[in-house]
Amino acid sequence: MGKKQVRPPRALPPAPSAVQDDVSQSRPKRKKSRTKATLASASLEGFDETVVHRSSEGIEPPTNELKEHPEAPVQKRQRKTRLPLELETSFTQKKTSNPSLLRNENGIDAEPTEEAVIPKPRRKTKKTQKAQLQYANELGVEDEDIITDEQTTPEQQSRFTAPTGISQPVGKVFVEKSRRFQAADRSELIKTTENIDVSMDMKPSWTTRDVALSVHRAFRMIGLFSHGFLAGCAVWNIVVIYVLAGDQLSDLSNLLQHYKTLAYPFQSLLYLLLALSTVSAFDRIDFAKTSVAIRNFFALDPTALASFLYLTALILSLSQQMTSDRIHLYTPSSVNGSLWAAGIEEQILQPWIVVNLVVALLVGLSWLFLSYRPGMDLSEELMFFSDVDEYPDTEIKASS
Amino acid sequence: MLQTSNYSLVLSLQFLLLSYDLFVNSFSELLRIAPVIQLVLFIIQDIAILFNIIIIFLMFFNTFVFQAGLVNLLFHKFKGTIILTAVYFALSISLHVWVMNLRWKSSNSFVWTDGLQTLFVFQRLAAVLYCYFYKRTAMRLGDPRFYQDSLWLRKEFMQVRR
Repeated sequence: MGKKQVRPPRALPPAPSAVQDDVSQSRPKRKKSRTKATLASASLEGFDETVVHRSSEGIEPPTNELKEHPEAPVQKRQRKTRLPLELETSFTQKKTSNPSLLRNENGIDAEPTEEAVIPKPRRKTKKTQKAQLQYANELGVEDEDIITDEQTTPEQQSRFTAPTGISQPVGKVFVEKSRRFQAADRSELIKTTENIDVSMDMKPSWTTRDVALSVHRAFRMIGLFSHGFLAGCAVWNIVVIYVLAGDQLSDLSNLLQHYKTLAYPFQSLLYLLLALSTVSAFDRIDFAKTSVAIRNFFALDPTALASFLYLTALILSLSQQMTSDRIHLYTPSSVNGSLWAAGIEEQILQPWIVVNLVVALLVGLSWLFLSYRPGMDLSEELMFFSDVDEYPDTEIKASS
Repeated sequence: MLQTSNYSLVLSLQFLLLSYDLFVNSFSELLRIAPVIQLVLFIIQDIAILFNIIIIFLMFFNTFVFQAGLVNLLFHKFKGTIILTAVYFALSISLHVWVMNLRWKSSNSFVWTDGLQTLFVFQRLAAVLYCYFYKRTAMRLGDPRFYQDSLWLRKEFMQVRR
């Protein structure tokens, strides 16, 4: 974790300058300290090594500390316990003071090196109490001040900034991405979130409304097909009936004999097509908005007329269900239990033929009316594009 | 917010049930070789209508309008569909019971009376209207306005409170 968290802080601007300063100042001491350090403590070797190849500054302080304060390891231990926690929150500050420290493999190791790095100048003069005072004072310090401070007296600054980092204001925001915190400028973050919002708005290019609209259009295509098919079927049906019935309906028994297998299937097909066509025609005039539909009807709008004709045809067709079943179950009157007593054929069949003729006419007329304005679809306009139309007054009122 | 995929799925289910309903209404009279076939078809049809009612109500519950407490507004907007669906459901069940009662002994007999014919006409007519209104409602519920706060909704809310 420690390693992961460390990365973002590197990007912060003040860090490189501070490091460079440190490097330049600490170089002369480094050679001295190195010789002593190797002899003095084996315990520090570990983190020294990790730090060495990253920055020259990292090496120096531990050696100094060892040289001047043999009790340093004990202090380190005490601090260690507290530090890992701080690492999580205050790594930004550490980074500004000394980025190299943060690159250590784990938080515990990194912290001691920092502690070791820091002490030099102050510990010689006074100690922790004074440091705490400054700690308190620095809480109110602003970002820019810290940076300049650091540049002038980098070692002092680096010594105390580590703990203060927790509460210091930073111009960065740390966003947790895939279990690690990454630094980001506030302004950039705002921009990116705005972008995300925009992309979220743009992204669902295929909205539920589009789905509904596409289904609606698909159904309109089915309806268009059924209008024509129904008109053709009805005309074919009436032609077949008249042909089978013979001249002046003289051969009704012939009609019954041949048509009885056809009657019920055709009745079913007629209902299916009529239902589809009626629904489709209602869709076109947006029948649910009764006022609009009635107004259109009285204005003799072809589509509204077609819907009305389809509905009439549907009712007429349904009313012939009983007769169709009777034809379906036709047996000659001579057969026992026949539904068709002699002489009633014409009485039953005549109205049935007339109704079929009327249905065929209505359906054909509807088809003509609809094909007069095939593109008209009030449902689509009112249902799907009514944002502006349906509630214009409310929005205007609200905005004024 | 209603997900597009969810809505597509629900819409296809609704259309499947509607298609089945239309199919049975059209061809059930032809499929009466044995009374059991018709019985099964009718039972499934009634269950399909019931399912459609449940689905449309679940869609209502899913809207922001409903969750904001404007049940009245939803009912007002879709009362045609709700009432018509209920009427159609009642008509269907009564017709199915009547027809099955008459045809159970001999499925291929002539059972029509004037009453049955009238009920038949009303049921089939209601079926067409139900199909139209239900389809319209299902597609209107795809309108994103029902799933988000808007000026329009606030205005409606104020009107309802008055």
